[in-house]
Amino acid sequence: MLKVEGISVRRGGTPVLHDVSLALAPGATLAVVGESGAGKSTLIGAILGLIRCAAGQVTWTDAPAPKCRPALVMQEPRAAFNPHLSLRRSVMEPLAKQASAGDLNRLYRLCDGLELHPDLLDRRPNQVSIGQAQRMGILRALIAKSPLVLFDEPLSALDAATQKHTARLISDMQGQEGFAALIVTHDLGYAAAFADHIAVLRAGRIEEYSAARAFVEAPQTAYGRTLRDAAFSLGALERVA
Amino acid sequence: MTFTANGLSAVRSGRTILHPTDVTLKPGERVGLVGASGSGKSTLGHALVDGLRGAGTAVAHVPQSPDEALDPLRSMAYHWREAEIALGLAPDASRRTHLFEALQIGHGDMRKRPWGWSRGMQQRFVIAMALIGTPGVLVMDEPTSALDPVVAAGTMDLLEDYLAGRQTALVLITHDLGLAARRVSRLMVMDAGRIVEDAPTTRFLAAPATRAAKALCAHRNWLQLPC
Repeated sequence: MLKVEGISVRRGGTPVLHDVSLALAPGATLAVVGESGAGKSTLIGAILGLIRCAAGQVTWTDAPAPKCRPALVMQEPRAAFNPHLSLRRSVMEPLAKQASAGDLNRLYRLCDGLELHPDLLDRRPNQVSIGQAQRMGILRALIAKSPLVLFDEPLSALDAATQKHTARLISDMQGQEGFAALIVTHDLGYAAAFADHIAVLRAGRIEEYSAARAFVEAPQTAYGRTLRDAAFSLGALERVA
Repeated sequence: MTFTANGLSAVRSGRTILHPTDVTLKPGERVGLVGASGSGKSTLGHALVDGLRGAGTAVAHVPQSPDEALDPLRSMAYHWREAEIALGLAPDASRRTHLFEALQIGHGDMRKRPWGWSRGMQQRFVIAMALIGTPGVLVMDEPTSALDPVVAAGTMDLLEDYLAGRQTALVLITHDLGLAARRVSRLMVMDAGRIVEDAPTTRFLAAPATRAAKALCAHRNWLQLPC
């Protein structure tokens, strides 16, 4: 279980995250929503240990192995890969050892689940579509069986139909693999459709935290309502009779 | 009177990416040009701008990101004056005040360069620049996809209010049918370089006919909530 307890992050003296606490149970999905500059990506950096916290702590209880780290899916699918390496090499990198027959079996099983033809593994990042590149990013995040996967705006580079398709695949893989997902997104529609809980981050603070469905039906804060109304206005959420 | 561009087409590296297409727009019409990535929407958008200009229509184009329209080394005042000069217009403070009020950027410091303004304000400035010459047709290519949802919704609302009752036709290019469906009265669907459907929004949503249109309709929103 991931526990983020009262973390604060400062950059150049300016607070970017302020007393942020979150918990994520094994296999569960938490979406952190908020606008640009709210501190969403900083939160991911802090959880990964890439950004030092001025206060608070990130703990991971019941981690399967002391060295096991969370995996990350990045926003820009192609930029997330070394352009000179085959996707196979990049995808297998987290294993950090010669791939065993079992690893290869797992690789092809994950490819199947993510609707990626294994031949695509021998291409470079710019030789696949952007949607395929993002599914390769997800594949790389899943290959080492990390029980926690962080998604930093995983769908924002994709078109509307590909977004929904990819979200469905992530959810199916989660059902199959059982990892917990922390999804950082500005898209409340995605959060509402696929997360168990939603945390609203605003100017470095958690403004609201509730069950996803309850949030979109009745946000508790004025800012939560603003986010929800924008999602309706942009057609991400729709009311039907 | 209508705006018409006929025989629009495009070839890239020997491959036809836009098959010959005719587009007719009515003054004041709100049209959505929707399709998946790579379907040819932006290509048609560019061809439409060129075709309509060739036919003598005043057309303005708003790109996806303000970075494409604004020079990071020039002040906002310079951009504004440049746009006026391009249209052969004399400086007019009242026109600027009117547009800035409509798009709520009146508080922006014109001496600053683009990066001194927020992204949302930059994009609204670009939209204001596009409206300087009261164009017959305004083509917007994914105008809100680089913006946060709250800012994006606000920008579309302000634009809608400004255009209400005016004769400027709007062509909204987007991969997101959910966004277009609420804002336009007519939808054109692109697939593999062709317009495969062209229908009033309500009729289109009730009965999409082609595979591409059905896919867009099926994925037009994330979640439907009861009223």
